[in-house]
Amino acid sequence: MPESDLAAKPIRYVQINESLCNGCVLCMKACPTKAIRIRDGKARIEGVCIDCCECIRVCPRAAIQAITSGSLDLTEKDNVIVSPSTVLYSQFGEDILPNDVLLGLKRMGFGYIHDQSYTSEIFNLAVELYIKENRDKPDAPLPFISPVCPVVVSLIAYKFQSLLSHIPPLVTPREIVAREGKLRLAARHGLDAEAFKVVHITPCPSKMICMNESILQKHSYLDAAIGINSIYEELRNNIQDVEEDIVLHHSGGIGLSWGMSGGEISGVDLNCLAVSGLRETIRYLEKIEMGLLGDIDYIEFRACTEGCLGGPFTVMDKYQGKRHIQKLVRMFGVERRVKYGYVKKLYDKGWFFTNKRPSLQRELTQPSPSDIARGIERQNRIEDILRLLPRKECGACGCPDCATFAEDVADGRVSIQDCVFRQDQKKK
Amino acid sequence: MKFLLEFAQPGGLLKKYSVKARDFVKAGEGSIQIQRLLKFIGFDAGLIRRISICAYEAEMNVVMHGGDGELRLLVDPKKIILEVADNGRGIADIELALQEGYTTALPEHREMGFGAGMGLPNIKKNADSLEIHSENGQGAHLTIGFEVQTS
Repeated sequence: MPESDLAAKPIRYVQINESLCNGCVLCMKACPTKAIRIRDGKARIEGVCIDCCECIRVCPRAAIQAITSGSLDLTEKDNVIVSPSTVLYSQFGEDILPNDVLLGLKRMGFGYIHDQSYTSEIFNLAVELYIKENRDKPDAPLPFISPVCPVVVSLIAYKFQSLLSHIPPLVTPREIVAREGKLRLAARHGLDAEAFKVVHITPCPSKMICMNESILQKHSYLDAAIGINSIYEELRNNIQDVEEDIVLHHSGGIGLSWGMSGGEISGVDLNCLAVSGLRETIRYLEKIEMGLLGDIDYIEFRACTEGCLGGPFTVMDKYQGKRHIQKLVRMFGVERRVKYGYVKKLYDKGWFFTNKRPSLQRELTQPSPSDIARGIERQNRIEDILRLLPRKECGACGCPDCATFAEDVADGRVSIQDCVFRQDQKKK
Repeated sequence: MKFLLEFAQPGGLLKKYSVKARDFVKAGEGSIQIQRLLKFIGFDAGLIRRISICAYEAEMNVVMHGGDGELRLLVDPKKIILEVADNGRGIADIELALQEGYTTALPEHREMGFGAGMGLPNIKKNADSLEIHSENGQGAHLTIGFEVQTS
C-alpha cells in the first residue's frame, strides 16, 4: 500500500508535546511502522500510527501521551456501567481479590459493575465452536487470529490486509459486556439502551481507538475508556476495609488469566499459540502471509510484551502483575465455569457474531497500472539514493534509518544534504 | 548457476537475494524481504501472498536440498518473475517431485517441521506459470511467473 493511503487515517490518539520534546531519536527508532520523524528539532508523527505506544514507553521526557476517556462526564456515575479489564485485578498486591477491586469501584460511585473475566470464559467456548465449525472447510484461513488486541487488528488492517479473513467475526468480551450490560439494564428499567454509558478501565489507549474506528464491527457499545493509572489512587483508597459480602466476581482462573500472554488461549481446547510483543507479532504475521503456521488453529497476538499486563497504562510492573495473576489462577482453579449447552445456545442465536466483515472503513481497491509503475520507479530511485548513503543508521537526519531517509529524499521531503556523513565528505 | 534474469527493462526492477545451504537460522529471510518490497511498491495483497508463499517454498528447497543458491525477482508493472537457482544435487524426478506428499527430505528436516512434500506442489498451485529445469547433480532452476491484475 502506498504511503499516501496509509496516512489517510483521520484522528491521532498518540500526541507529542513539543514543549517537552528535545528531539532525541528514541521514539523515532522505536516506532515499528517508522511513522516518526524529527523535524526542526521536534518529533512528529508523519506516517501511519497504529497506536502501539512503543514511543510512549521509550520517551525519557514523558513528552508523548495518548488520549483516552472521550467526552463522557464522570461526575454523574449513577447510570454508568464500569467494566474493568482483567488486568486491573493484578495491580494491587496479593491480598486483594478481584471481588474487592470490583467492590472498590462500586464505592467510587459507579452505578453498575460488570466483571469481564466471566464473559471472557464464555468467549473462549465461542472461539472453540467457531473454529471447530470452520477449520475443515476448503480454504479455511488457518491459523485463525484473535480479534482481542486492537493494535494487532489495526496492524493487520493497515499492513497485512490479506490476513483480515483470518480474524473470526466474533465480538470481543469487552464489547459483549458493554452490549449486554446496556441492553439488560434498558429492559429492566424500561429505558433506551443509550441511557446507560459503559466505561472500560483499560491498560492501554488502543481500546479508545477501536471504539471510534471500528474495523471489526459497525459501532462500539463502549462510551469511554480510562487508563488504570488515572483512577488507581482513588480506587486503592476505596478498596481498603471493604466489608460488604456482595459477589460481583464469578469467573475461575481461566478468565482471570486473560491479562497475561497465553491467558486467552489457556481456556481454548484447540491447537493454539500465544505471541506477545509487537516485533514478534509482525514477524509471525509475515510468516502467516507466507503460508506458514497452517497447522495451528488459533493464535493469540498481543502487541504488548507479556500481554495486556505490559500495557502503558498499568501501574504494577508486568512481571509482578504476572506473579499476582498466577497466584489468582492457583486460587480460583483452571476448571471451566461455563456450561457448554448455555454457550452453544447463545452461539446459535448469533450472540457472538459481529455485524461486519473485518475491514477498514474505506475499501482498498486494486492498484491501477500507473500506481504500480510509479511504485517501481520510486523504488529504483530509492535504491539509487541508498547507494550514496553510509548505512550507519544513525538517525541524525531525522529519519529512523538510511532506507527511510532515502524514501523521504525520493519523495522530495528532505534533501540528501541532510545526511551528516555526506556533509562531512563535502568538508573534506 | 545460470540465470535468465540479468537486467530489468526500463520501468522494471531486479533484485537478488542469496540463499545459503543448510542455514536454517537465516532461512526465509529472502522471502520476507521480497514480501516487504512488494508491499512497499503497492501490489495487491492477494498477489503478494501468492508470491511470498512461492518464494518461501523455493527458498526452503534450496536451504534443504540445494547447495548455495540465489533468488532473483523481476518486478514489472504487468508481470513478476521469480527465478531460483542453486548448485545442489538437483531434482531426480520432476514429475514425482510435483506430486503432493512426495519428499526426499532427510529425517532432520522433518524434525524441524519441514519436508511434508508440499514445496513444489504449493508453488505450482500459487503461481501463474512454473518452469523447472534440473539435471541430476547439477542443481535446480525454477522460473515462477505471476500476472499482475490491475483495475
